[in-house]
Amino acid sequence: MGKPSDLVQGTLDLLILKTLTLDAMHGWAIAKRIQQLSGEVLQVQQGSLYPALHRLEQQGWIKARWAESETGRQAKFYALTAAGRKQLETESANWSRLSAAINLIVSEA
Amino acid sequence: MRGLDRLAMAMRVLFGRSRAGAQLESELRDHLERQTEENRAAGMDHEEARYAALRAFGNPALLREQVRATWSWGWIDRLAQDLRFAARQILRAPSFALIAILTLALGIGANTAIFSLTHALLLSTLPVPAPDQLVRLAIDLHNPRAEANNAPLNVPFAQFLNQHAQSLRGVFGWSVYDFVFTEAGASRGFRGAIVSGNAFQVLGVRPVAGRLLTPADDQPGGGPDGWSTVISHRMWVGHFHADPSVIGRRITITDHSVTIVGVAPQGFEGMVVAEHPDFYLPIEFSAALNNNEDQLHSAAGLWLMTFARLKPGMSRRQAQAEIKTLFPVMLDDLMPPAVRHLPVVERATLDVDDAHSGWTELRLEYTRPLLLLQILACIVLLICCANLSGLLLARASARRHEFAIRGALGAGRLRLMRQLFVESLMLALPGALLGIGLAWLAGPWILHSLDSRHSQILLSPKPDATVLALSVLCAFVCALLFGTAPAWVAGHTNIDAALKISNRRAALSGGAARRFFIPIQVGLSLTLVVLAALLGASVVRLHSDDTGYRMQDVVFHYADFGRLPQKGAALVDLYRRITARMEQMPGVDAASAVGVLPFYGWIFSESLTSASDAAHAKTTVTDINNIGADYFRAVGVPILAGRDLRNNDEDLHSCIVNESAARLFYPHGAAVGSTMHQVSHDMGNGTTTVDDCQIVGVVQDSKYDSLRETPPPILYKPYFDASGPVSSLYFAIHGRSVAAAETAYHQAIHELAPASPETDPAALSELAGGSIAREQLLSVVSGFFAALGLLLSGIGIYGLVAWNVSQRTMEIGVRMALGATRGHVFLMILSQTTSLLAIGLAIGGVAGFFAARTVGSFLYETRAGNPGVFLASAGVLVAIGMVAAMLPARRAVNIDPMQALRTE
Repeated sequence: MGKPSDLVQGTLDLLILKTLTLDAMHGWAIAKRIQQLSGEVLQVQQGSLYPALHRLEQQGWIKARWAESETGRQAKFYALTAAGRKQLETESANWSRLSAAINLIVSEA
Repeated sequence: MRGLDRLAMAMRVLFGRSRAGAQLESELRDHLERQTEENRAAGMDHEEARYAALRAFGNPALLREQVRATWSWGWIDRLAQDLRFAARQILRAPSFALIAILTLALGIGANTAIFSLTHALLLSTLPVPAPDQLVRLAIDLHNPRAEANNAPLNVPFAQFLNQHAQSLRGVFGWSVYDFVFTEAGASRGFRGAIVSGNAFQVLGVRPVAGRLLTPADDQPGGGPDGWSTVISHRMWVGHFHADPSVIGRRITITDHSVTIVGVAPQGFEGMVVAEHPDFYLPIEFSAALNNNEDQLHSAAGLWLMTFARLKPGMSRRQAQAEIKTLFPVMLDDLMPPAVRHLPVVERATLDVDDAHSGWTELRLEYTRPLLLLQILACIVLLICCANLSGLLLARASARRHEFAIRGALGAGRLRLMRQLFVESLMLALPGALLGIGLAWLAGPWILHSLDSRHSQILLSPKPDATVLALSVLCAFVCALLFGTAPAWVAGHTNIDAALKISNRRAALSGGAARRFFIPIQVGLSLTLVVLAALLGASVVRLHSDDTGYRMQDVVFHYADFGRLPQKGAALVDLYRRITARMEQMPGVDAASAVGVLPFYGWIFSESLTSASDAAHAKTTVTDINNIGADYFRAVGVPILAGRDLRNNDEDLHSCIVNESAARLFYPHGAAVGSTMHQVSHDMGNGTTTVDDCQIVGVVQDSKYDSLRETPPPILYKPYFDASGPVSSLYFAIHGRSVAAAETAYHQAIHELAPASPETDPAALSELAGGSIAREQLLSVVSGFFAALGLLLSGIGIYGLVAWNVSQRTMEIGVRMALGATRGHVFLMILSQTTSLLAIGLAIGGVAGFFAARTVGSFLYETRAGNPGVFLASAGVLVAIGMVAAMLPARRAVNIDPMQALRTE
């Protein structure tokens, strides 16, 4: 389970934006955080993060900066932009509505 | 801000593409290293840790491509790759590229050359605000005899409509006019226009300097500045060095003092297409020049081109509806009752035509020929594309191996096809550029070689942005046309199969598809050749047809005597003395004067009836010319019965008819001695006058208006009556040579009328040629296109056969080793060509048959379905095809079997 193709379209974007609300992070750390926070349920194929990160960067929702990481190496850190924060709010709201609706249907049945 | 950020990032990616790629590399590497370290920390050994990291990560190469695809300028990367690769492919076979580019240059050049004419004559929109509101008002006389019933208006009509038409915002007259500009004692002729005072206001044109003409300028005697003129921007910059102080300067135009009041904007050439006026003057100025104020304000003549602007929101249809009711009211108001109810006036209607691109009489004659030539040029381009398709297809087949390898390495089908299209484009675009250059050079040359006044006017020296854009578009369409077949081959190469068989065998299979294009080329070429042959045969017939005149060594000179003091009878005497003096000169056989030049495209006719049998006589509108004694001797028309006119007062009421007129009016009796009634209506006051003349001679028939016509009935009258000579006359001189006639003219004018300007000669043969300028244009250009088509077909056939021979070297070697004779091999190679030729000829024969019927109206004594023309055209194609095939076939015959087998 948990292959990216199984993720609902746009869900990965939401997860990335949500992960970046607290802190700027590099790609590997984002992958780890998503895995941890989901209690290892969501096994995102790590590489598939990168097309998503670059797309979000193109859309202006996150911005990237090269900086020294904790290991002393140069790494690319991604951070949320103001536009990204707004996008996150919209997408979170959408997600809540969608999941609530699905919950309703599933629990009714 | 976000837009700016994105733009900055796009720029970063665009200009730092290689840096972005390197950064992506290190970003992905960093991730993998971190994961590997984590795995090792969890206890895996080095190798295992790396593999686990890769498994968790996915295919890095694929992900790299996916990331690149998100970059907004990623396509530039890929395009640059395609371009680099295409350039390498082209440089690898430069001679092939050169042939392709030259082929396209010819095809696109032909289209550009014709389209620049089409555009200049038919399409280019006038550079004024809201040109779509402009309309032309023209009277349709519904005359069944005339080819085009398209008469202009006159000053009272234009003024009436300007006042009364509610759907029109302004009605103005516009007529081209020649002026003489005199400066520092030197005079030079310039093109110009006489325009209504409101013309510039209605057009909405703004001056570059000074002001434009106003209704106040268009008054008898001139306006507040006296006579005022607006000069063209070209004149202002070229002659007056863009000097602003030129405004208000007084200059001399055709012997009158005129004030320059303003400069028209750059690029504004007025309402008449293909004219380049340098001086604009009010219409009233022409009355001052000709001293005919009354005539200018008479509603009798129809001479003034009239235009108008629709009121905003009005459609041309609404305006037409209003004009339809207004026109009879106008005629009632302006014409005397006797004229108003003549059948010709009752029949007439006033049309409102679109004029957003101006107007020219040339459109009546040249619209259809230009469209025909444009279609022919497109056919040439199609032949080019078929030719190139064949060439590129062969190359694509030879490259199957390469496509297979690239496919195996992961290039998608679309990517391969796009690659081939980029290669096609890289041939088409340079071809288009070269073609534009060729059109620029060849276009004027073709038209100059025709040597006719019409084609000179058509010249448009400036390359137009629309024309250039269309040529480039043409290149794209061509690339699609000839690039599709090879691209399909590239996209549909079976990787497995192509990798297994040898390169040479793969190439061989391309010949089959390539063969398909030969019949297309042959068929289209045959169509072109048939049309060119028909049009060419017509021109040959027109030239060889007997005109009734002696065509050599006859020269006409306009007698520009308007500014001489002699008038009336004194002027007649001057004409007599000049012609008599010329006849005395050495080398001059005969000299006379004539009212209307033959083949000038302008005839004079009146209603004639025979007086002898008044009860049964029919009235016929007949061509008339005014001549002096010896005219027939000068132009070589034999007198068959009776005598020539004598240049004296006894002959005031004598006339001569030609055979056709004699047959028409006196079918049973002798014409000589009979009397003709000439009935003429004065359109100004409605009076009808009947002139009688007695026939003193009958002359042989000759053509009058154009080489195209059969000789019409003509009545010849003396060039003068009791009040003096007819308004304008030409001298007709026959000399031992043109030079002798010229010398005689100059000397006689110098001696007897030194105050009159000398005029340019018009040789009878040139006039005759000018009357079929349209047919000559068609035959020369279509002949050129047919030659191009033949050349391209020849190259196509040569290429295919040469390709086959080179691919079948081994096979031929084997056949010859097994005993095939040289003759066998030769026939084997040729047989393929003959079958392709046969299919092509069948296609072309059918296409040519239908195409020929559409050009019927341009033909003269040549039947569109003439089997001789078809057979001869097919023969030419067969000859060219065979020569093209034999050159490589000879190479096949000379193959040494041992050599061939060894090299394989």
